Amino acid sequence: MNGIADKSLSLVLIGGSSGSFVIFEDILKLLRSPISFALIFVLHRGKSSLSVLPDLFKSKTDVFMSEPHHLDTIEPNSVYFAVPDYHLLIGNDYRFYFDVSQPDFFSRPSINATFISAAQSGIPVKAAMLFSGSSPDGAAGMQMLAEMGVPTYVQNPDFAEFPRMPQEALLKNQNHKLLPKTNFYKTISDILYSIN
Amino acid sequence: MVSIEYVQLEELIVRIREISGFDFSGYARPSLLRRAGRYLAKYDMDLDMLLAHIEPGGRIVYELIQELTVNYSEMFRDPDYFKRVQTEVFGYLESYPALRFWVAGCASGEEAFSMAILLKEANLLGRSLIYATDLSNKVLTSAREGVFTLGSTRTFSENYILAGGKQSLSDYYHVAYNKAIIAPELRKNIVFSLHDLTGDGVFNEFQFISCRNVMIYFTLELRQRVFKLLYESLSMLGYLCLGKRETLRYSGLESHFKVIDSSLNIYQKIK
Repeated sequence: MNGIADKSLSLVLIGGSSGSFVIFEDILKLLRSPISFALIFVLHRGKSSLSVLPDLFKSKTDVFMSEPHHLDTIEPNSVYFAVPDYHLLIGNDYRFYFDVSQPDFFSRPSINATFISAAQSGIPVKAAMLFSGSSPDGAAGMQMLAEMGVPTYVQNPDFAEFPRMPQEALLKNQNHKLLPKTNFYKTISDILYSIN
Repeated sequence: MVSIEYVQLEELIVRIREISGFDFSGYARPSLLRRAGRYLAKYDMDLDMLLAHIEPGGRIVYELIQELTVNYSEMFRDPDYFKRVQTEVFGYLESYPALRFWVAGCASGEEAFSMAILLKEANLLGRSLIYATDLSNKVLTSAREGVFTLGSTRTFSENYILAGGKQSLSDYYHVAYNKAIIAPELRKNIVFSLHDLTGDGVFNEFQFISCRNVMIYFTLELRQRVFKLLYESLSMLGYLCLGKRETLRYSGLESHFKVIDSSLNIYQKIK
């Protein structure tokens, strides 16, 4: 956990809110160890949420999963989940940092907080994806990543359970690629494995 | 979206130190970066504009320090923690004729008031003194007033019930001008005072220290120093409580504490 930072680290970022839980679950099913990157999920969760996602999802994938603690090093071949009530920031020293500043759009963790910190960290971000949700969180982070040349993908709002989150991201930046309704998971799988 | 980079952040840190004497060099950079970025976005400024505008004794530098250090909290945050403190810690504390508590990094007093309420319900408040400290005079002023928005009391009340509160939270505040004002009887055993964990030293000995979600502001190195300060401020067998997602890990003092609750981060000093 407190090892030497792995400088070959790269990141894939995935964010969502209402309607995204099932998608996260299905993305996990696509993953088989080893993956070359660290996959970081930011899902809006109530602060009293007691569910431990790595336990909940343990039958879905054989990749190492964790709800990281403050200062844990970020390792490749791992899946991380932001915990409720803290923003999860990516440090330029390849560690996770917690932050207790104000919620963004009533959300802590905020997708923007994680995505923006990743963009600033200097750690290569191989892809960022944003799914269903009823909050505008995530749009600013996606925009920043897209402007840096990171491949960014949003769920097609027409088919999202809650369209606002992908919609807001597209309003800020029209260059995000749309994930189609048909072959949805196949497309995501192809993206992840082309990185791998 | 305004954003600043790590290199520019260092420039800002130096400038703030020159102007105010406040030293952010031991603060975790990712968090500072987020907070500084939000401050700039709020006022639609870029870093150069900010650097040009902060001046000695000016309002902006203090506002900025405030923004960079503020801890957004609530009463009875993490109710399960407060429940555990009552069942696990209060029984031990009952044996002391006089009790000293330290809420380090108390912000607007939410945690100190929460402790006072639970101590009162355990009949311990009369012999307790709660020192609640923060590095910001501004938040301390607001803590001394003990005033919260009526909207926030709803969450506070829900937390209070979940924490095992015996009455109704509204027994502990009255409403005036659309605000909730904490009862004076709770405030009289709380001393709010200025203390900077990163620079000031030990000022008393405590049976109980809560320093929740404060360490996460600091770099690894500074964090170890602050842990040492807390350790030295605790009496033997005294309790140290950290934030729900914090740990003693990387503190260098792991062997000096017994873990009372590993998920709620309650520790007891044993050597």
